[in-house]
Amino acid sequence: MAKAFKNTRRGITCELDKAERDLLRGLFQDIVTLLEPERDADEDPLWALVGMDPNAHAEHFPVPRDRAELRLLPDAVKGDADASLEFRRLTERGLRERKIGGLRAAALAVETSPLLLSPAAAAQFAAALNDVRLVLAERLGLETEADAERIHDIDDWGRADTVEEYLALVYNFVTWLQESLMQALLQTL
Amino acid sequence: MTARTDVLPRPETDGATLTETPYVLIVWNDPVNLMSYVSFVFRSHFGYSEAKANALMLEVHHQGRSVVSTGTREKIEADVAAMHGYGLWATFQRADQA
Repeated sequence: MAKAFKNTRRGITCELDKAERDLLRGLFQDIVTLLEPERDADEDPLWALVGMDPNAHAEHFPVPRDRAELRLLPDAVKGDADASLEFRRLTERGLRERKIGGLRAAALAVETSPLLLSPAAAAQFAAALNDVRLVLAERLGLETEADAERIHDIDDWGRADTVEEYLALVYNFVTWLQESLMQALLQTL
Repeated sequence: MTARTDVLPRPETDGATLTETPYVLIVWNDPVNLMSYVSFVFRSHFGYSEAKANALMLEVHHQGRSVVSTGTREKIEADVAAMHGYGLWATFQRADQA
């Protein structure tokens, strides 16, 4: 079983076993797939590099329909769909690229054992864990504090019979891991 | 003879056109983001003290939302994009409509 993250003189470190590392890598990669923008086959790679969208000013700019994707890329102006869409046209592609970059870095980081992160890499790793939790929470229908309590109470890996129970266990593991990382990171400030 | 130099009348100015309308960044509560994480983001991104970051985080948690930053539209838009990068649920609006 994983041990909590620790802030050491060499960096922020954590020991994960192989099953945990495989699980995390798979989760990070799933979110990358969810966030990957549709690219035209002949798109200039410079667009991806600068995080700008060649279709920013296209007549139709689609808003994510998947709820988990929308949670990662939320509307920026409450109650104003037009203003939100305008902001989305200018910033959403960059946000996707930044998140994908962070998730790929996190997937690479868990290849090493023990995991050793600089404070900056640890902050990026925390954001990647947070993106995983946001997506799992959306899949679990976690919307209220009461939902959070109910999911928190699912803690027996031996009795996970349904997909929802399994997702809840994964969610709780990633939550525990992120909390321990935050305690180590807060010590570096 | 020199004519007296005319002094052009100073145009009446409206204060609001000289300074930009301030905007605010609002962070909304959700049951997923950890309190420690939200506090960390407020400290590391905005450079807020531990006390200020924790007070804002608790306001989000208990009141459902908090105005976390105020500034020009350009600055607040950049802050919103940064908060979305961290996965926080953030929106922006004109300060006088908050």
